[in-house]
Amino acid sequence: MAVEVILPKVDMDMETGAVHAWKVREGDAVRAGDVLFEISTNKAAMEVEAPASGIVRGIAAEEGATLPVGTIVAWICAPDEQPPARAEPAEVRAHVAAGGSPAPAKPAAPAGAISREPSALRATPLARRLATSLGIDLRQVPGSGPRGRIVSDDVDRHAGEMQSTVASAGARNGAVIAADARVIEAGRPRVRRVPLTAVQRIAAQRLVESVRTAPHFAVSAHIEMQALIDLRARLAPRIEEQTGIRPSLTVLLARIAGHLLPRHERINGSMEGESVCLHGDVNIGIAVDRDGELMVPVLKRAGERSLAELTAELARLRKEIEDRAIRPADLTGGTFTISNLGMYGVDSFSAIINPPESAILAVGRTVATPVGRDGQIVLVPRATFTLSCDHRLVDGVLAARFMRDLREAIEHPEVLI
Amino acid sequence: MDQLDGKRDAIAMTTELQIRTGANQRPELAALDDDVLRAALLKMHLIRRFEETAEDSYARGLVHGTMHLSIGQEASAVGAVLALEPKDYILSTHRGHGHCIAKGADPGRMLAEFFGKETGYCRGRGGSMHIADVEGGNLGANGIVGGGLPIAVGVGMSLRAQKRDSVCMVFFGDGATNEGAFHEALNMASIWRLPIVFLCENNKYGMSMDVGRAMAVANVADRAAAYAIPGVSVDGNDLPAVAAAARAAVERARAGDGPSLVECKTYRIRGHSKSDRNLYRTRQEIEEWRDRDPIRRLEDELLRHDRLSREELRVIAERAEQQITAAVEFAGTSPDPRVDELTRDVYAD
Amino acid sequence: MPNEIVAHGAGVRECSYAEAIREALAQAMEADGRVFLFGEDVGVYGGAFGVSGDLFHRFGPERVIDTPISELGLAGAAVGAAITGMRPVLEIQFSDFITLAMEQVVNQAAKIHFMFGGKASVPLVIRLPGGSGTGAAAQHSQSLEAWFAHVPGLKVVQPSTPHDAKGLLLAAIDDPNPVLIFEHKLLYKTKGPVPVEPYRVPIGKAAVRREGTDITVVATSIMALRAEAAAQRLAAEGISAEVIDLRTLRPIDFPTVAESVRKTHRLLTVYEGVKTMGIGAEVSAMIAESEVFDFLDAPIARLGGAEVPLPYNPALEKAAVPQEDDIVAAVRRLVREGEA
Repeated sequence: MAVEVILPKVDMDMETGAVHAWKVREGDAVRAGDVLFEISTNKAAMEVEAPASGIVRGIAAEEGATLPVGTIVAWICAPDEQPPARAEPAEVRAHVAAGGSPAPAKPAAPAGAISREPSALRATPLARRLATSLGIDLRQVPGSGPRGRIVSDDVDRHAGEMQSTVASAGARNGAVIAADARVIEAGRPRVRRVPLTAVQRIAAQRLVESVRTAPHFAVSAHIEMQALIDLRARLAPRIEEQTGIRPSLTVLLARIAGHLLPRHERINGSMEGESVCLHGDVNIGIAVDRDGELMVPVLKRAGERSLAELTAELARLRKEIEDRAIRPADLTGGTFTISNLGMYGVDSFSAIINPPESAILAVGRTVATPVGRDGQIVLVPRATFTLSCDHRLVDGVLAARFMRDLREAIEHPEVLI
Repeated sequence: MDQLDGKRDAIAMTTELQIRTGANQRPELAALDDDVLRAALLKMHLIRRFEETAEDSYARGLVHGTMHLSIGQEASAVGAVLALEPKDYILSTHRGHGHCIAKGADPGRMLAEFFGKETGYCRGRGGSMHIADVEGGNLGANGIVGGGLPIAVGVGMSLRAQKRDSVCMVFFGDGATNEGAFHEALNMASIWRLPIVFLCENNKYGMSMDVGRAMAVANVADRAAAYAIPGVSVDGNDLPAVAAAARAAVERARAGDGPSLVECKTYRIRGHSKSDRNLYRTRQEIEEWRDRDPIRRLEDELLRHDRLSREELRVIAERAEQQITAAVEFAGTSPDPRVDELTRDVYAD
Repeated sequence: MPNEIVAHGAGVRECSYAEAIREALAQAMEADGRVFLFGEDVGVYGGAFGVSGDLFHRFGPERVIDTPISELGLAGAAVGAAITGMRPVLEIQFSDFITLAMEQVVNQAAKIHFMFGGKASVPLVIRLPGGSGTGAAAQHSQSLEAWFAHVPGLKVVQPSTPHDAKGLLLAAIDDPNPVLIFEHKLLYKTKGPVPVEPYRVPIGKAAVRREGTDITVVATSIMALRAEAAAQRLAAEGISAEVIDLRTLRPIDFPTVAESVRKTHRLLTVYEGVKTMGIGAEVSAMIAESEVFDFLDAPIARLGGAEVPLPYNPALEKAAVPQEDDIVAAVRRLVREGEA
């Protein structure tokens, strides 16, 4: 019977590690106690010895690849024995990664590549159930139970890890998609089945929850943008000088919302159980897309911070999202959300509320629009703002009052800045 | 009513006259008046025709399970039950159609049970081997040899505790007397002097096992001595003899003097069950017993002593035929149980 | 009839399991002339384990009946009395002897109601002292309750406390079906609070003896007491065990077990009967078949009697059935190591 060689836990709270250097090669004969490989942790390097005598087969870890503790990295076999089958590296396909950026030609190194055979995977029913509901691939989860059985705690721990290390696993996430994507059998080649990413799953759950529980209604207003455009033009050089970034319309709108919302506390509120939570802070979430993943980083206390600060902050958040380094704290705590699709040429749209918030502001493009003024038709830059509200907290009049104040603020923004 | 009573009086007078004029009748026969004999003969015919019809239905594939026919044993069933009143109980056996009809069951509902119908005595859940007519005092046939014997003890205890003057007659075959239950039941009934009649129908075979090979005593009744109770053997194909023996046992039980053992020596003409190929007995033996057919014997005796006329006998046979025809009609047109009620009545509410 | 446990405040006092049974019998006989007790040595002798005690003198030989040694006949007599209007309570001296009466219990009592299309009911009670621990060896120490829990038409209960011994017996006497009560010989002298007034413990309802979050221990009869003691010890080491006393084997209270396992994610069954094909297998299978399966975070484990006739030697006898230490160890294994 082949004996598995695992990447051992050699350090307290060590959850991943890497084979630093193999000391044996495929097919080498070893005796129990011989050094098989060096393991590197963030503290030290250690030698790992053969757990049995026999032939080394099925080496499955690239040097330097970060793997979860407990991953099988090789087998010690009898001379005439083959190691148990494992996932084919060929399954890791280069071109499936979202965004189409070409992946390295050799099998991707991350954990996804070294996956355990699903049939050999040991996990308790609860762990399986949990993994399914969290969208976690059990093959990525190190098991702490007997003979590596995955229990619910392992899945929980892994889920926590995933959240906090989304960024560092930048490449890895792509590879997970790659590993899981299954091109459906020949004959129906145009259909691909791509599992949702963890972020997509969470977003999907929250959106469904929102639509199910919050009775949505929307109010719209066309608002003239000239004053805001002028203000941005006036402030931009100074802000760019301070931060190196030009302030976006979105940042200006976040600043304005931050200013207005303390006076519209229900629109800044949230539904929690049977009561309405009214928040002292105004934290503005900004809807951001990352390769099909909807993320909402939060500008904390937007009404109390300068435009320069908010500009720099939003830039940082965007970059961290792009780098997959965003921290959960930056993705939580929002009290109101702005979604701006104007840059894509969208005229107007209504958005789904980001639960448990009570409203979301959808911003369309600014377009030169003929309007009647003093008996003349003139062209003014105008955008359509649509506020979706949770009718449990916000009624039509409250929404209308906010839109009235929003129009006032956008059309006369100087007072705010 | 008046007319009927008048007729009954006339019959009673006739009987008395015959006895007085010394018409050479056995006392066992003389003890039964014409009405009782008519009713008894009707029941014997009903049993015979019921079983023949059941057999025919089986051949036609209308009956699901097997059945145990008592053709040839009608005198012991009817004769024994003649001694009982409606308030009395019987416990029956797997070969129990005769007991059931004798105790007054409706052949239509019995046949419906055979056919597995909802209108059957057991709503199609019991079949031939478990027909019970609790209201009519029949506490059930039994699929277990000797199964009714210990139950009879409990019925006897119950009657005693409730101070009822009913008795319990428990039927069993010769085979059951070799079960431990027989010993336990007779012993307890005797020590507690329970109102029970142990009625053994010795039909010579326990399935294929000849009674002479299965027990060392000559008669089942001999075993009564072990319990210090009366034990009597009678010709089980002789209705008046069975009735007389049963009456004595019932009277003793009702008087509080305890149980008796009555053995009716009889013979089943058909095989043990429908799968019996009669490998253990000879055709000649079967023919000899056919000659002692209890129905024909009774009819001959009644004619010989002018108790009933040929015409009366014909009418009785005809009535039996009509009742069975009606029973077939009723059973055939009755509804089947509903499959979604499968687990109904596993527990009483 | 009230089907609830009646709490009587002042009317509750300590008494033994045997006394509780005797009190139930006396109260049932006082309340209902149809009830009578019979069996071997239940009269003048007062019962082999002293359960019937003075009942013979209080109710007379017509209501407390000494019988010959005839288990089959007695079981049949119970059936006959039950179907003709009485409420017999039969004591089988040692539960092992019920093997002599299987025919009447399984073929007759259990089936008559169904077989007769619902037209007769069989309201009888059979009391069966069972279990090991008294040095009575192989033919006087068995736990055969699972055999009967396999038979539709029978009800099977196993009280573990004086309170339940009385309440279940009164409920059994009320019940229109044959009910087998497996008492435990070692429990007769155990004491506990028992209301003086008659009350019923519902048949078919398990009791959560102790709440916990890490593991559900489903136990029967004396094992429920051992499981409770084990849980107490385990609490000291930070393991929170929920203990369920099944109380009734048929009809089994699956919802209570399922709800608990859904919460704790682990299941251990503890029973004295031989482990294989026993109560634990049934409880385990019910969980494995149910939607609770998906909530298991460890294998299901069983602790049952050893695969051996019960031995005489005290050390061997003890080793043949689960003890408190065994339960503690099994729970630790399941919770700490995830191993059955």
